[in-house]
Amino acid sequence: METTGNPSVFLLTVNGQIEGANFPDYDNLYCKYCYVYGHDWAPTTGLEEGITQITSKSIQSHRLIWNFPLETTFKSTNPSGWPQLVVSVYGPDVFGNDVVRGYGATHIPFTPGQHTRTIPMFVPEPTWRLQKFTGWLLGRRPEYTDPKVVAQGEGREVTRVRSQGFVTVSFHIMTKDMKKMGYDTGPSTPSTV
Amino acid sequence: MAELHIIGQIIGASGFPENSLFCKWGVHTGGAWRLLSGLKEGQTQVDIPQTGDMAYWSHPIDLHYATKGLQGWPKIHLQVWHQDSFGRCQLYGYGYCHVPSSPGHHRITCVTWRPLGSWQEQLAQMFVGGGPQLRNPDLIYSGADRYRLHTETMGTVELELGVIMRHFDKYGVES
Repeated sequence: METTGNPSVFLLTVNGQIEGANFPDYDNLYCKYCYVYGHDWAPTTGLEEGITQITSKSIQSHRLIWNFPLETTFKSTNPSGWPQLVVSVYGPDVFGNDVVRGYGATHIPFTPGQHTRTIPMFVPEPTWRLQKFTGWLLGRRPEYTDPKVVAQGEGREVTRVRSQGFVTVSFHIMTKDMKKMGYDTGPSTPSTV
Repeated sequence: MAELHIIGQIIGASGFPENSLFCKWGVHTGGAWRLLSGLKEGQTQVDIPQTGDMAYWSHPIDLHYATKGLQGWPKIHLQVWHQDSFGRCQLYGYGYCHVPSSPGHHRITCVTWRPLGSWQEQLAQMFVGGGPQLRNPDLIYSGADRYRLHTETMGTVELELGVIMRHFDKYGVES
């Protein structure tokens, strides 16, 4: 790694894992993840999206475990548009169709160190009771056409959702040249949210 | 000019009488602050939790401010509303909190209150809902004329706000 005098670009390295989930009502779930970031950001190494294995609850605990690795590095000129991890969980319903069990998003932490995040997961809720029943019968629940909308704040005013579970993700964060560019991101202590 | 990034989310709310809730939020700053990018107000989705009391919104906030002074530090103000199954909306609380002034991740619990009417209005509120609302929402985050209000305590809103500060130390600011 070379030390530059006046850097204009800083790096963010994310090492972590999607540990698992807590869904009281559902089992046999898998998870898809992707990153959403602003115009000034670009991933340099690592995968931007992926799918985990299908996991089921053990008899002892009701936790679902994926233990899925996340290793990505981003570069940027500006903290605006800080990357978010968007997670969507899918599983079979009573008839065997693959339906969505939750969407969620969280910002990647920016303080170097170890962090754990518990992401609440929600599904869009059908407006009419009849739609709810036919959706259950035919396996066609409301879904987002692009899960990345979960990472945006606009256009949410008209949506109704139901929150029904949590996904736990842990991160180990390193940044390069943020201090040199004048950014103060606070003390490097572990945080749990 | 010093720069401030506010990166986080409005996590959710709990402690309200019903839990089909949404939140209208905004960030208010003084005259010396300029918003460079991001949306400084918005409305969350309506969440109906399957289990438990807390409604989760996970509404992202990503703001970039430039400032020439410390006065008018950003404040985030919230209005929590309840939407019933027929789509009617009722005010459940007002609240505000300052954006933290030290860099790093912060978990903040914002308390809320609701204006209380006369006993006749409270009785009507029990049956048909509704209730008094503020004519001027500036009162949520300002102290002027608050002494005229009689309010009742409502639930709490959880926020996770991360703060990144740039060049504040060059101007001698300690935080």
